[in-house]
Amino acid sequence: MSELTTRTHGAVAHHTSLGVDNRKLGVWAFIGSETLFFATLITTYFVFAPVNRARPDFQDPREFLDIELTTVLASILLASSLTMVLALSASRRGDRRSFTTWLLATVGLGLAFIGGQAYEFNHLYHEGLTLSSSLFGTTFFVLTGFHGTHVAIGVIWLLSVFFKVRAYPDSPENVMDVEIAGLYWHFVDLVWVAIFVLVYLI
Amino acid sequence: MRILPRTLLRATILIALLAVLTACSAGPGDTYDPYGDNARRIYELLIPIWWMALGVFVIVEGLLIYAIWRFRRRPGSTAMPAQVHGNTQVEILWTIAPAIIVLVIAVLTFRTQAANAVMPEDALRIKAIGHQWWFEFQYPDLGAEGKPLVTASDMYIPVGRPVTVVLESQDVIHNFWVPKLAGKTYMIPGKTNFLTFTADQPGIYRAVCAEFCGEAHALMRFRVIAVDESEFARWIDQKKAPPSAPAGTLAVNGLTGDAARGQAIFLDARKQCIACHAVEGTNARGLIGPNLTYYGSRQTIAAGILPYSPENLARWLREAPKLKPGNLMSRALTPQWIKANLSDQEIADLVAYLDSMKVSVALPPER
Amino acid sequence: MAIAERTAGTVSIPGVNVRPGWAGWLSTTDHKRIGIMYLVSAFVFFLIGGIEALLMRIQLGVPDNTFLTPDVYNQMFTMHGTTMIFLGLMPLNVGLGNYMVPLMIGARDMAFPRLNALSIWLFIFGGLMLYVSFLVGGAPNVGWFAYAPLTQKQFAPTAGVDYWIIGIGLTGVASIAGALNFIVTILNMRAPGMTLNRMPLFVWMQLVVAFILIFAFPVLTVATIQLLFDRHFGTRFFLPNLGGDAVLWQHLFWFFGHPEVYILILPTMGIISEVLPTFSRKPIFGYAFVAYSGVAIGFLGFLVWAHHMFAVGLGPLANAFFGAASFLIAVPTGVKIFNWLATMWQGSLNLTTAMHYAIGFISMFIIGGISGITLASPPINVQQTDSYYVVAHMHYVLFGGAIQGIFAGIFYWFPKMTGRMLDERLGKWQFWLMLISFNLTFFPMHLSGNAGMPRRIYTYEAEMGWNLWNLISTIGSLLLAVAFLLFLWNVVTSIRRGPVAPADPWDGATLEWAVSSPPPVYNFAVTPHVRSRRPLWDQKYPSLHEINGGHGASGAYHGERRDGFEHDTPPAMEPIHLPSPTYAPLIVSVGIMILGFGIIYLGDFGLIAASAMLVGLLTMAFGILTWVRISHVDSPHHAH
Repeated sequence: MSELTTRTHGAVAHHTSLGVDNRKLGVWAFIGSETLFFATLITTYFVFAPVNRARPDFQDPREFLDIELTTVLASILLASSLTMVLALSASRRGDRRSFTTWLLATVGLGLAFIGGQAYEFNHLYHEGLTLSSSLFGTTFFVLTGFHGTHVAIGVIWLLSVFFKVRAYPDSPENVMDVEIAGLYWHFVDLVWVAIFVLVYLI
Repeated sequence: MRILPRTLLRATILIALLAVLTACSAGPGDTYDPYGDNARRIYELLIPIWWMALGVFVIVEGLLIYAIWRFRRRPGSTAMPAQVHGNTQVEILWTIAPAIIVLVIAVLTFRTQAANAVMPEDALRIKAIGHQWWFEFQYPDLGAEGKPLVTASDMYIPVGRPVTVVLESQDVIHNFWVPKLAGKTYMIPGKTNFLTFTADQPGIYRAVCAEFCGEAHALMRFRVIAVDESEFARWIDQKKAPPSAPAGTLAVNGLTGDAARGQAIFLDARKQCIACHAVEGTNARGLIGPNLTYYGSRQTIAAGILPYSPENLARWLREAPKLKPGNLMSRALTPQWIKANLSDQEIADLVAYLDSMKVSVALPPER
Repeated sequence: MAIAERTAGTVSIPGVNVRPGWAGWLSTTDHKRIGIMYLVSAFVFFLIGGIEALLMRIQLGVPDNTFLTPDVYNQMFTMHGTTMIFLGLMPLNVGLGNYMVPLMIGARDMAFPRLNALSIWLFIFGGLMLYVSFLVGGAPNVGWFAYAPLTQKQFAPTAGVDYWIIGIGLTGVASIAGALNFIVTILNMRAPGMTLNRMPLFVWMQLVVAFILIFAFPVLTVATIQLLFDRHFGTRFFLPNLGGDAVLWQHLFWFFGHPEVYILILPTMGIISEVLPTFSRKPIFGYAFVAYSGVAIGFLGFLVWAHHMFAVGLGPLANAFFGAASFLIAVPTGVKIFNWLATMWQGSLNLTTAMHYAIGFISMFIIGGISGITLASPPINVQQTDSYYVVAHMHYVLFGGAIQGIFAGIFYWFPKMTGRMLDERLGKWQFWLMLISFNLTFFPMHLSGNAGMPRRIYTYEAEMGWNLWNLISTIGSLLLAVAFLLFLWNVVTSIRRGPVAPADPWDGATLEWAVSSPPPVYNFAVTPHVRSRRPLWDQKYPSLHEINGGHGASGAYHGERRDGFEHDTPPAMEPIHLPSPTYAPLIVSVGIMILGFGIIYLGDFGLIAASAMLVGLLTMAFGILTWVRISHVDSPHHAH
């Protein structure tokens, strides 16, 4: 057997130098990049936390943040990671009905998270916490707002995958498409865990 | 073809000569002509590094030129050179050699850094505040009744005594740079920085803002004027006493300006001067623009853009937007407003007034 | 989708894989076409940046000049820096990389050809957006590193800063997408037998740069987003009088900004590492050292950012740490120079124009490196920073170094890309003119900087002693412009009537010379199997003995040359799949651009801007739908 392999462009490679699918490798690199994105936002939050405390317009995170609600939100997102794993497993098995159920469940939980986040933002706004009310408002809303944006993008991504799989149910790329969407989704979940612990709990 | 190299050679020699001549006449901003301990230590650090750099440069460029000449493929030659892949020992050597050079430079560096960071307790403290586009100077405790003595654009310091400049900014980031005395340090809004140096000799030292700060950044300059201790004490004593009542006249551009009339115009709220400017001993207490007390002794107009003279001062009052585009005074005193509200005579009077406020100082030479 | 059929030894492509004319360029996913698009558009931006520089030099030619008003001058230096870095040098590197990397690793295209197209379009639109600012109230005028709080609304009221933010935001997304492409392509799509240790050094450098990029750019993205929010949505990240921190901007910017300069120089160092061995007719001396010094530079580059902040007052400990790290990074850089010299040593030097530029790179980069050493010393730095000395330093490394490297790459690979040779004689004249005028322009800046001339001033006083240096610089810059025009002339005439280029005009060692000039659309008829660092060389000279390690064939000296590239077993014939052309990336890019316009004006024109954002999002959605559909059609398992 010749060692030659036809090099195909693009996503589905029969053979890759590292043995990892191109798209999977790409998403991991992208996640690496996004890690720096959120690390910068979180660092900014912590740079300003003591400054906020020392200012006359100081707004105390502990007074504003509702741990109960956000614990629920965190659980929702963690549950959505679970449903995502189940969706991927169903996809691998070729179980279309389970896949539909679990993927839509993930989407639903993601939407619930966004809804909850929107509710929290609205509540905080009425309590007097805004982008311009204090350094806490500034850093908090930008950090959690961009996280929420990433969740929204994830929801759109998941729905796209869902419709694509529905349109082309026999495409052998489907499993990988689901897997990499799942990788992104888990990452976004992990970022929330970090935010939850660092901003809300500590 | 023979003419070309000869001409080229002559041209090169001429340019090199010009360059050397120009370099020999030291400019007012030369960092290699230090008059202060801070700048001197930096210069003395640079010398050995410069020689090491020259050595590296000569070696590398020399090897390069030699290699080109020696190993250039002769026409018609097809011989293949030895396919040398590498030599780990040699490579380790030429990794270690630059590391050693760099280590030496690092050690020298940290010694100089430590020396320049020393801030003696008994140093004279002067607060320097950056504004778009002028420098404010405050001498804490040295003004009348122990209040700060406030001035602008000319920073007087005593020779031979450490001075710690406390650097702040009112708006954007500026940079305090008097090349012949010290390295530069930023003036950052919301932060306080410190720069310590001692002037070794009396002199008027040119200085600039060295951080881009907006439209007129290029025109934001100041002077550090180092005088003997006794002269410095004399300056303080005169500066802290409020100027006496203005008197006398001054010929300005063919008109006769009256100093007393000028003060009345200056203090007239409708003329807007006192909205921004202050003069000790009067009810002019504006804090937005430079303090104008004893303005007649300023070295320059409008933070270093023109040498001080009555004519230049009149020019400034009349043509500020042209002389310093973007300057804040011209936002209120637009050309139209000036035409409508300040006659030539009034300008002459104002000039006479400001010029009449002088302190007597034995000015040191320009460096 | 086009499938190439092969019969014994010939390859034909029955279907058209490329649409004719403009449609072909707008819908291309071919890395070679995209590479050329990058090179051409980058060169156009580079010329514009050059004109901005010329205008500045004319203004500075004599003291107290009134050729440009201060506000226009400030826009010029801001745009010059932003253009040259983001729209000039970076895409030149990416263009050469895009064209050459797949060829050099034996691949048929990049890992994600459509994403590749998205990158080029986003780059073009980002650059266009930045320049639109001239038409709508003024270009950004705050310097290319945009220090806070000068960039706040109260000090920079025009939309210029917003266009800067969105413009480099778009090119930043393009860059990150491109970097992901390079990472996956290089790690995953190498020809069988091409281990990382057998990759060409140009490919190594592109890999390192891609990693630097994906970790550095997000930090800039966050900083600019925070600035945008400060300007329009009431936040106070960089507003000192409300508790914000001007120094934080600097930390974030330079955390990106310093790795950025290695993004600019490392690919060009990779070019030198290709050109020198070819024209010395011996391998690179110390492949491992050169490769790993690049990795070391990439890593250390993240630890030195505050050497741009020595005058900020961070404190002696911080200054000492960053000074030490900056000194340290000089070591791997120096190593490369010695390795390059050793490559030439006892070689058989073929002094082509490309070789001229490679040697020019070394000779000028060492000067830039030396001025970098003095700048790395915190006490010396506080005299030299923010003066023309820094301007001299950066232009010696970026122009004397990187740009000459790019020229070396262009003269080296132009035959491969176009099938024509550039005029060597004109090339050498132009090289000398460029080298001399470059030095005339920038060397005096060391002197005026040390004589106290600060940066970014639109004029200066006659009595400061800077007049002669500025005049010489200005004359040099005009000559530099002539040199560029000569180069353009060379390119334009050579493309049309230059001598036809063979597949391997330089007797090269790497895979790109194994295919025709220009390569067929599918690059390699049969994927090569690689057994050494110089696969083509070992095929041509199988009996050449490699000294001191290496992976070549052993045998006698003075081997005979064999043409072509052969396999030792007959290759299996399999269909070649190539990506279809598609407008999807273009459509998505247009959508992102419209979205960007909306974001700029969201704070001030709420509803209209929001509608624009919606239009942008819908366009993106349509583009993504098209994208998903075409990617399904292109899937190699899709039944035909």
